Amino acid sequence: MKYLSKSITEIHNALLNNEVTPLELVKAAIELAKNDTSNAFEYICEKEALEKVNNLDPNLKDSLFYGVPVVIKDNFSTKDIPTCGSSNILNGYVPIFSSEVVLRLEKAGAIIIGKTTLDELAMGGRGTTGHKGITYNPWDKSHTHLIGGSSCGSAAAISAGIVPFAIGSDTGDSVRKPANNAGLVGLKPTWGRISRFGLFPFATSLDHVAYFTRNVVDSAIALNVLAGRDDKDASSSFKEVEDYTKGIDDSIKDKKIAVIKEIVNSVSDKDVIKAFNDSVEGLRKAGAIVEEVSMDIKLLKAIYPTYIIISCAEATSNNANLDGIKFGAREPGESFEEVMINTRTKGFSTLIKRRFVIGSYSLLRENADELFIRAQKCRRLIVNAFTEVLKEYDAIYCPAAPGVAPLISGSGESLSDEYLIADNYLAFANMSGMPSITLPIGFKGGLPFGANLTSKIFDESNLLNIAYNLEKVTGLKDLVAKEEK
Amino acid sequence: MEFEAVIGLEIHVEMKTNSKMFSSGPVSFGIDPNTEVNIVDMAFPGTMPVPNKQAVINAIRVSNALHMSIDDTVIFERKNYFYSDLPKGYQITQQFRPIGREGYLTINVNGEDKKIGIERLHMEEDTCKQLHSWDFSLLDYNRAGIPLIEIVSKPEMRSGEEAAKYVEKIRSIVSFLDVSDGKMEEGSLRCDVNISLREKGTEKFGTKVEIKNLNSLANIQKAIEFEISRQSIILDFGGHIEQETRRFDEGSKETVLMRVKTDAVDYKYFTEPNIAPIKLSKEFIEGAIKTSPELAEHRLERYKSLGLNDYDSSLLLSNKETSDYFDEVNKSGANPKLIANWIIGDVQSYLNKNGISIKEFKVAPKHLGGLIKLVEANKVSNKQAREIFEHMLVEDKDPELYVKELGFVQVSDEGELLSIISELLDANPNLIADYKAGKDRVLGFFVGQIMKKTQGKANPSLTSKLLVQEIMKR
Amino acid sequence: MKTITKEILREAATKLMFKLTEEELDQLVKEFDIIVKQMELIGEIPGVDEVEPMTFPFECAVNYLREDVATKPVDRDEILKNAKDVVDGQIRLPKVVG
Repeated sequence: MKYLSKSITEIHNALLNNEVTPLELVKAAIELAKNDTSNAFEYICEKEALEKVNNLDPNLKDSLFYGVPVVIKDNFSTKDIPTCGSSNILNGYVPIFSSEVVLRLEKAGAIIIGKTTLDELAMGGRGTTGHKGITYNPWDKSHTHLIGGSSCGSAAAISAGIVPFAIGSDTGDSVRKPANNAGLVGLKPTWGRISRFGLFPFATSLDHVAYFTRNVVDSAIALNVLAGRDDKDASSSFKEVEDYTKGIDDSIKDKKIAVIKEIVNSVSDKDVIKAFNDSVEGLRKAGAIVEEVSMDIKLLKAIYPTYIIISCAEATSNNANLDGIKFGAREPGESFEEVMINTRTKGFSTLIKRRFVIGSYSLLRENADELFIRAQKCRRLIVNAFTEVLKEYDAIYCPAAPGVAPLISGSGESLSDEYLIADNYLAFANMSGMPSITLPIGFKGGLPFGANLTSKIFDESNLLNIAYNLEKVTGLKDLVAKEEK
Repeated sequence: MEFEAVIGLEIHVEMKTNSKMFSSGPVSFGIDPNTEVNIVDMAFPGTMPVPNKQAVINAIRVSNALHMSIDDTVIFERKNYFYSDLPKGYQITQQFRPIGREGYLTINVNGEDKKIGIERLHMEEDTCKQLHSWDFSLLDYNRAGIPLIEIVSKPEMRSGEEAAKYVEKIRSIVSFLDVSDGKMEEGSLRCDVNISLREKGTEKFGTKVEIKNLNSLANIQKAIEFEISRQSIILDFGGHIEQETRRFDEGSKETVLMRVKTDAVDYKYFTEPNIAPIKLSKEFIEGAIKTSPELAEHRLERYKSLGLNDYDSSLLLSNKETSDYFDEVNKSGANPKLIANWIIGDVQSYLNKNGISIKEFKVAPKHLGGLIKLVEANKVSNKQAREIFEHMLVEDKDPELYVKELGFVQVSDEGELLSIISELLDANPNLIADYKAGKDRVLGFFVGQIMKKTQGKANPSLTSKLLVQEIMKR
Repeated sequence: MKTITKEILREAATKLMFKLTEEELDQLVKEFDIIVKQMELIGEIPGVDEVEPMTFPFECAVNYLREDVATKPVDRDEILKNAKDVVDGQIRLPKVVG
């Protein structure tokens, strides 16, 4: 089956020309999913998908998502399909309702063939902490490199060529980081642009629905389907939805793009810097004005700790409903307190519990001024600084990460500038709600790496236009990790 | 030593909206467990709170009735704690920016008006209901998410009576505004009392004791009176008041210890990030107030202007349903005073006898109004009207129909009446002379005789008119 | 802010309804050490204490209130199907003493 590694538009045309049927596509995707070697799946929806595809409304034929197999990160509620957020505490939980994004995809004719692995409850960046263990990077057959998280399974499924579209969520960089590691386009639109209803909350004020495609046009096509007001999400925006594919290939002549010097400088990999500089030259040739801008390095270094405090604080509250009483796993106990304690002690992994303590401690009355409130204040400074840059520029452009996917054996954590800035700065777009897209710009040792573009809130059309031109500059699109035979 | 009690109240009012505070799950009371629950109320992962417009309108109306300043930005906080009845592991409330601030209400104690200050009014959501049996508890989520208003008074009450009056006034306000049933027995109005004593004339507050689970006005008063004497005795003997939570025991009429309060719980409040701040326009706030149902005090003014006296008015206003019933009957155009008499008299005694409320009263207001108008028009006598009323209680029909059915049609035919009258006058010439000599009561005798002859069907006013006319002719 | 000790963190965990092992507590103390230092550095950023705390990513004016219309409740069996211990249409817990 050659179609699953193609773009959404190509698949759509093949369907219209009767080269392939939705049933064939779905069967092939399920077969690939069953043979997946990356540990990308929590659940393969074989029965459900076949039923859906057999009852597919032919009136939807003109929809670009008609008959297209897709995967959904397992922290999105799916009616009658088990959803556990890759956490033992939700083992056995079968939601009785679907997320808004799932409803919208289904309405457009997409077929969900699987629920994908994540870092437990989306709280992690390495794709290693889900209850099913490490999710591997399809680009690395030796399984020594990460794919990154938390949307690890979705990234693995699409880069392995199983599906052309994958839903993820992005609270710090959970789609945009794995996109870097897997040669994908990862878009996180403006906060409020896509309804979060049905997304298991990690840190509400930073959480975004985000997704992977293999090219920029597909990203715009998906946004057309997913964006828009939803009365079930009180933070969902009333702002009018545009046709994001319209004008995507317009020239970027005279568009102003800012490169943050301190972020680029925090990257030590010379090959990454070279590819990045080449892409900047390409953008200039395409007519854009690309300029270096300086930012307070203290503020850039503050992004990560600020993110940790705010996200952990909100997470401890958001996950307080997981107590074994109403749904999910339940451990026995002599009192309701014991039931809760036993359930939560056994149900959460150690990393999650430590993060909950950090969050809760930051909120305590005697600590809040120095931890939670201070982080919220610092958030404002960070957001102000980036907003200031975007007053003069159409987008901010920087490497998306320090380099290719890191080793699984590495610890990750450190206090170096490279770790604090290059590896973690993308959370600024979660703090500010700005639309942000990562796309591939090069390869090193057979592994892809990418760069990131971020623009003003609700300026997705402009962002996608610049991203499309960048894609043309690099020529890197529709990348699929090939199986070695 | 002479002590002064310092009393503050926290009142939770359960709203009778159609849907819940943050979900479209239905609000209803007293139905099968877990049949009125939706996914938000159960806190399934991924569900999100969306605030109820009517709940905000209700909060604005009560705030206004309590003369509070109203915040034009609605913002919510999370109160984080774990408990078996709390589905999300936090309650959404308004800790930092209550919708209403700084108000008062006026109570009347011993003929004197006293203003009681109110600190704050905020919106929040109810928890689920727990049913305890001897070795386990059962959870019913019907109540989870029902909108609540919490009203916190200043510590400005000094006696059980004042506290009871205050609660009564709050109850009247929320029920006349259609915000709540205000029924303490059923938990739709819950009251916690904070009470401390201090030496009279001093300013410093004593140690505060909280009394919970008070389910009637009488119990509030009794609990406070008991607590004042309990604390006085301890202080008189040089003891210390413990900071504790007590509950009122109905059997012994005493407050009993529930738990000693340790350090204040840290609820780790923070802004609810799912609900972007809601800016209320001036028009919205003013509209909520302008369209607000009429409060008892405003109805009182209206009743006075209808010619009712204070006593009757206050009886009609003792609860909203009675007052509403009066207003409905009054639409018939019958005499308000007569209506009030009927409701306070015949209707009320029927209700009392049958132990039902006016809500369950079957006689349609327009039928009662019609009956009163029949009396006013002299179409039926008072006695007949009562008989018709008895029938209406059995089967509520247009009283005109009963007039016919019971044969109460009055003899209003002048010819028929005149012939009876002349017959009567012919037989009693001496009485005609007595009347002309000034003995008015003779008229009564004649009317009585005519009624006898017509089996009470003679139209009384027509009869009197014709009688006088005929006597004067002789 | 108090100095962070294992005892404080153990208590914080208990309030969050889970237990931590000694190893987890040791690791947590180390993690806190780093976080607190980083937050102290943030405290030195000029102007940080002069700005208002930020909860929402931007000034979002979604002035929406839901109309007070009740929707059909979920069927009881459906709403309770994920609960582990259901008796008489209610969720059962060990006796709550409170």
